[in-house]
Amino acid sequence: MTDDPRTDPPPSQNDASRAEGVAVSRRRVEPSRGVLSHYGIAFVTAALFVVLAISSRPFFTTMNLINVVDQQSTVLIVGAAATLIIIGGGFDLSSSAVYVTCPLVMFRIENATGNIVLSLAAALLLGAAIGLANGLVATIGKVSSFISTLASSFMIYGLGYIVSKQSILRAKGTGLRTIARTRILGIPSSGWIAVVVVLVFAMVLSFTKFGRHVYAAGGNPQAARLAGVNVTFVRTITFALGGLAAALAGAVSSARSLTAQPSDDFSLVFAVIAAVVVGGTSITGGEGAVWRTVCGAFFIAFLVNGLNLIGVDPVYQRIIQGAVILGAVLIDGRSRRRS
Amino acid sequence: MRPVTELVVPHVRLRSITKRFGPTLALDRVDLDIVSGSVHGLVGENGAGKSTLGKVLAGVVMPTSGSIAVCGEPVVFRSPRQALASGIAMISQELSLVPGRTVLDNVYLGVEHTVGPFVSRASMRRSYGALAERTGIIVDPDAFVHSLSVAEQQLVEILRALVRDARLIVFDEPTARLSSNASANLLGVVKDLATSGTTVLLVSHFLQPVLDVCDTVTVLRDGALVRTSPTTGDTVATLLQSMIARTLTQSFPTKTRPPADAPRRLEVCALSQGSTLDNVSLHVRTGEIVAVAGLVGAGRSTLLRSIFGAVTPSAGRVLIDGQDLKLGRPNASIDAGMAFIPESRRDDGLIMMRSVRENTALPHLDRFSVAGVLDQREERMSVRGSIDRTGVRAASVETSVDLLSGGNQQKVMFSRWLAENPRMLIADEPTRGVDPGAKNTIHNIIVELALHGSAVLFVSSDLEEVIGLAHRVLVMREGRLVAEFDGFDTSDLEVARAAFGSDQCRPSPKL
Repeated sequence: MTDDPRTDPPPSQNDASRAEGVAVSRRRVEPSRGVLSHYGIAFVTAALFVVLAISSRPFFTTMNLINVVDQQSTVLIVGAAATLIIIGGGFDLSSSAVYVTCPLVMFRIENATGNIVLSLAAALLLGAAIGLANGLVATIGKVSSFISTLASSFMIYGLGYIVSKQSILRAKGTGLRTIARTRILGIPSSGWIAVVVVLVFAMVLSFTKFGRHVYAAGGNPQAARLAGVNVTFVRTITFALGGLAAALAGAVSSARSLTAQPSDDFSLVFAVIAAVVVGGTSITGGEGAVWRTVCGAFFIAFLVNGLNLIGVDPVYQRIIQGAVILGAVLIDGRSRRRS
Repeated sequence: MRPVTELVVPHVRLRSITKRFGPTLALDRVDLDIVSGSVHGLVGENGAGKSTLGKVLAGVVMPTSGSIAVCGEPVVFRSPRQALASGIAMISQELSLVPGRTVLDNVYLGVEHTVGPFVSRASMRRSYGALAERTGIIVDPDAFVHSLSVAEQQLVEILRALVRDARLIVFDEPTARLSSNASANLLGVVKDLATSGTTVLLVSHFLQPVLDVCDTVTVLRDGALVRTSPTTGDTVATLLQSMIARTLTQSFPTKTRPPADAPRRLEVCALSQGSTLDNVSLHVRTGEIVAVAGLVGAGRSTLLRSIFGAVTPSAGRVLIDGQDLKLGRPNASIDAGMAFIPESRRDDGLIMMRSVRENTALPHLDRFSVAGVLDQREERMSVRGSIDRTGVRAASVETSVDLLSGGNQQKVMFSRWLAENPRMLIADEPTRGVDPGAKNTIHNIIVELALHGSAVLFVSSDLEEVIGLAHRVLVMREGRLVAEFDGFDTSDLEVARAAFGSDQCRPSPKL
């Protein structure tokens, strides 16, 4: 109850500033989303990089950094395509299975014919075909893609065991090894392939009619349909591209080791989804970008790498990684609700 | 008379209830007293605010200002749960039962009888039996809700309300989806409820049944109270008079009759869609603006959606400039030069999280792309041109549309179709929920399009807009076209009569 003008501004001034506030908010009819929050994940990833670079000598070595890029190449290749699928309103759990099984087909054909191009093409074609089937089941069959790709995963894993006769396959020739061992500017071919795939998907999303239709189909399928978008077609194609990318990632990774074996390993797809989500692409579709997934993948990679270098017990690393993913989703959800 | 009502405390007393939804004033200082144990009717045109008032009473909608008193005690309802605690329940058009559970489960959902941690079905069954006896409402307690008819589901809703000790039930258009037999039954139940002491607020379009069942009727118009009076002196005609009579508040662009020899742009032949659209034929000539009037649920939206292809009609033909259109294919309709403004821009129109630019350009991306690659500069220029024409006010074309006001969002919808002058504009409630300024702009756009040779077919619940814009007015009732008026020579009362069907033939319940 003080009448001190310094602590309590006179009412007239108060009113004036309030009126001004109204005028300002009216002039800015819509607040644009802040640059800081829009590019938040990029800043955070860059900050983590800088912190690690300063605090850890072994982190900021060419060797280590190339290793990180090399290790992330499969996540980036699959993640770029997964971003497209998720923005389009779908979900593909089968990329792990495609990633495991297509190289088995590749090695079988390579062993039989010795033709690298043929075997690679067959692997990629199979991946695309599986993706197409996934897409058709999800769109025309109207099954939740989360469930349908979970189901197809098991079938594809099974196919892997059949193709490989449940054994480890090895490359016969040296062609694949030559490709895998090629380095340009010190970076292995897997890294370059990842860069190209990421750029292609990023450009498809941002600069093509198809990309625009993907955003529309995921953002509001009914409205998109009424604006003339062929939602079924668009979504199906995103799944086909997802299958293709997973097959490519599998080929890249197994060419590096020159072996492939059947498994039921789902870990890749979880790493991919983590990267997409941490990057800030909306899991409900319609929003997101490939660059976000790239940031998400590197953020997690730097985190793990850093924790390793500091010598954190891998058991705790898991808990920290989980907490980070949860935190990313919480922050994302909150900023979305606000707008 | 007056001193008596003053002495008796009404069951519910609403004072100066006002509700704003953004720029629209849905309720404007409405006073309402509901006498305990009475059946109170609430009538008005589409959008008069009657449903909103019912929702305010049931705690579904919080009023912007005003007060509510139940049995003399002032209350504030922030949720339906709080209203229910004061004994007020609402049964709305969209029923809220759990379809996969039994009637018994649904009736006692949330108020299960329990013995320790276990649900006692025996006890619920006993209480259900007693309730059925008391009310005379007979529904098999073990039937699954999804196997019941709409009428039976409504009875379940009533039982559910009674189990929760509701002493006042708000019915929002209970008979809208019922056959005439079923609605007569339901109104009989309503009457019985009142006899046994439950107060009923009946929100309805159907005027004759309201007169038959209700003791008192309140008329709303444009969100304001017109009158509350006993039904004894009223007829359908006097009610309509109170509902419609108004002073003209809007000005419209001058109407220009299309040339007499203008060819038919749109031809619709015997279009049907399930039970909501029954053998509708119509045409629209180039340069002509045709309005479709009617009550909510008369099939107006289904007609437009069937023509455009948002839904696939079960029978009939649609022709544009004499060419048969592939039905149920929005793609094909857009290629044929159709533009569609849906009733709900949020659900069917805009991609809310995307930008003005992306939303506006969406159907026309081919124009800005070479081999699928977009020329974003050209796109941006075209979008700027379109939104300048409609006067969209946004910080930039990159602003996401969910940050715009309703009026600006609707202008974005129009901008979308202005990039190419559409040959046929189909608009469902083109000015719903927009501010008066945007309304004017949209009216001008529609008239200008017609002047440039587009054909326009629109649905509106705003009779003033129908009369103000249309060259020809078609009236729908219960899925059929029932009347046609010359837009230059008709009145809102005439159109309303046809829409409400002043010869309303719904049988009234036996009293």
